[in-house]
Amino acid sequence: MAEYWGIKVEDIFNTMQERFRPEGAKDVDAVFGYDIKDEGKWKLTVKNNEMKIDKTSDLAGCIATMEADGETFVGVNTGKVDATNAFMSGKVKVEGDMGAFGKTGKLFRKYVIAQKEMTVKDYLADMFATVVSRFKAKEAEGLEASFAFDLGGQEGGKWTVFIKDKVCTVTTTIEGKPTVTLEFNDAKDYVDFILGKIDAQSILAAGKASAKGDINMMASKWPILFEKYKDPMGGNIPEQELIVLKKTISVNQKFSTGPIMGKFLKGLKDKKIYANKCPQCGRLQLPPREVCAECRVRAADFVEVGPKGEVRYMDLVYYAMPDPLTGVARETPYGGINILFDGCKGNETLPHFIRKDQIEKIQMGWNEKKGTRVRPVWEENRTGDIWDIKYFEIDE
Amino acid sequence: MAKKIAICAVAQIKNDPDYHYLRFQNMLLECFESIIKQTKVTFDMEKGIRTIITCSDDVFDARTISNNGITDVVGAHFRGEEKMAQESINGLGYAMACILSGHDDLILFMGHCKESQGESRRMVSNLAYDPFYCRPLGMDYHNVDAMQARAYMEKSKVTDEHLAKIVVRSRKNGKQNPYGRENKIVTEKEAMQSPMYSDPLREIYIYPVTDWAYGMLLCSEERAKEFTNNPVWITGYGSCMDTYFLGDKDLTSNFSLKNAAQRSYAKAGIKDPRKEIQLFELSDHAAYQLPMWAEGVGIADEGNGGKWIDDGGMDKFNVNLSGGQLNGNPLLLGGAARAIECYYHLSNQAGTRQVKNAKRAVAQATYGGAGQHQAVIVMES
Repeated sequence: MAEYWGIKVEDIFNTMQERFRPEGAKDVDAVFGYDIKDEGKWKLTVKNNEMKIDKTSDLAGCIATMEADGETFVGVNTGKVDATNAFMSGKVKVEGDMGAFGKTGKLFRKYVIAQKEMTVKDYLADMFATVVSRFKAKEAEGLEASFAFDLGGQEGGKWTVFIKDKVCTVTTTIEGKPTVTLEFNDAKDYVDFILGKIDAQSILAAGKASAKGDINMMASKWPILFEKYKDPMGGNIPEQELIVLKKTISVNQKFSTGPIMGKFLKGLKDKKIYANKCPQCGRLQLPPREVCAECRVRAADFVEVGPKGEVRYMDLVYYAMPDPLTGVARETPYGGINILFDGCKGNETLPHFIRKDQIEKIQMGWNEKKGTRVRPVWEENRTGDIWDIKYFEIDE
Repeated sequence: MAKKIAICAVAQIKNDPDYHYLRFQNMLLECFESIIKQTKVTFDMEKGIRTIITCSDDVFDARTISNNGITDVVGAHFRGEEKMAQESINGLGYAMACILSGHDDLILFMGHCKESQGESRRMVSNLAYDPFYCRPLGMDYHNVDAMQARAYMEKSKVTDEHLAKIVVRSRKNGKQNPYGRENKIVTEKEAMQSPMYSDPLREIYIYPVTDWAYGMLLCSEERAKEFTNNPVWITGYGSCMDTYFLGDKDLTSNFSLKNAAQRSYAKAGIKDPRKEIQLFELSDHAAYQLPMWAEGVGIADEGNGGKWIDDGGMDKFNVNLSGGQLNGNPLLLGGAARAIECYYHLSNQAGTRQVKNAKRAVAQATYGGAGQHQAVIVMES
């Protein structure tokens, strides 16, 4: 199986149990599917604050299934890939109930890339394994040389780096007569030297290391021939754990409507749209408010307008915010429109939604240009809120 | 003595436990119209209102930028509007700075809070604390005040009986106040049977949930005569912020109040508040705060709050004739409520509560748990 940032897709699934947050699983009772391209399918069952993950061939019965390739999946789970971008660009897709799938975001702690300690042996293996890739061929024009390393101690070993015809090869032996041989009593000192933890002079002075043959070749030519070794541990500073508290702040509210907004909402219940009218300037307000802000007088006279009208302003929303009342992300795309009702003029418009399948057909009005004619589609059981109008549709 | 500013008119709606039939815009509109009617002030760009200061709180309103939903009912459309999201008394300090600096010479100051809207004011004040430590401990203004109450009562020999006495008096005074919240008159014995919220604070020792709104018209000394024959002057303002973390301070020291009072008195040229001030309105969020703040503003000896009550200090110094915060004002608006009561007395409009020959008054307000932030204003007729 392929690895991404050193992590296999399986690693993400295999650690789900230990990363599981029961507090994030409250009220979740569902089966989620994961379909990872070329990697396989997994089924996640969450119930009673517990979880189970199974590799499967059948994702039937899942409320929602995430589809992604292995790299994107690992990337999103480890924070290497921005989840929103991945979703927006289609690299991650969710089939089924998108709102339900959103809950999986709270189920797990983030996958933290394990920072293993590297031993001297690991470092030596990595250092010589990367020699060829660090070799700068163009600096080796006309050069034929061999660099031998004889590194003592339990974790040590022998290596020879050959350069000939601008090609670099490495063996794990020392044979013949190398151009230069570097000997360390303890391989650990060599690793520390390469990592910059100790300097060559002090090792040599202490008699812990010596060089034979063309010392200049090692001291001056090597740094030109090879890119500097990069510590895969990034200086061996462990990644800091960032402690973040995730809380939902919630204080239940009751919002009084007052007589003006109340009258408007009651109107919707009766399939009527009421605007209020300024007694001074005659301006209409939708939805109605207590005063005409411009004249600073009460505007308690109501006028029934519409319910048909024309579209003035509009937008198409492709990335939806969760509905503040339900917490569920709206299905996209959806179309927001501002309607100029019959009986209204100028900017006396009211916003609402357009029927989903008619988004493409809507034309916005502007100055003298007429917008598409629309009419409200009323909810069967109306309660006096804005969803008493389900949406507007083209009035054909 | 420093320069002064005028309060030309005040307006308010009655303090109510739950204006369920009004939204806060309706509450403000009543006050707005009253100010316009009383003063005939206009919104003319040369001579009228160009600057409106509002006081509101996002969490109590459950909307961010709580001022921008009310601009129309406070006349702020196409005018300067600036929000004070702090205890309302700071709005008076802000208006004073605005006028005395010459930034503007006429200010409409409006405030509202509908405490009945949220399920729990304690959940609101819990959010005043940091999310990592104090919030998880469940700190809110009630239980934090209770911690201060216990320490203060120990220091100043204030008892359960004293607190009961304060509540009984507050409710009696509140009945005299036409804008006071309607509360049941109780006896001291009944008060002491009220359920314990956070020992030593009983339910009845804590101000009740209240909806309220107000308006005030303020202007420069020169312009006051355009709007009233009977201005009341703000001659001193001082405020002080104590430490945020409870563990950092001596809960009984009254540090921030003493500091605020001294600065306010110095501005107003007051040397002895006991002799020079005839009326005190103190923001007693809970009953113990009345004697504690009395010590802080210098009318009770430090550490003697209990004896001060026994000696009739509350009536002797005309403290909280409105009923005080304890009778019911929204937490956010105690300072405005206190200043408005002082205004009535200093302009001889306090009806049955009127203090005869009141020349100077002090309005005090506090915000934060255990009196963290304090502000004091001196007003004169």
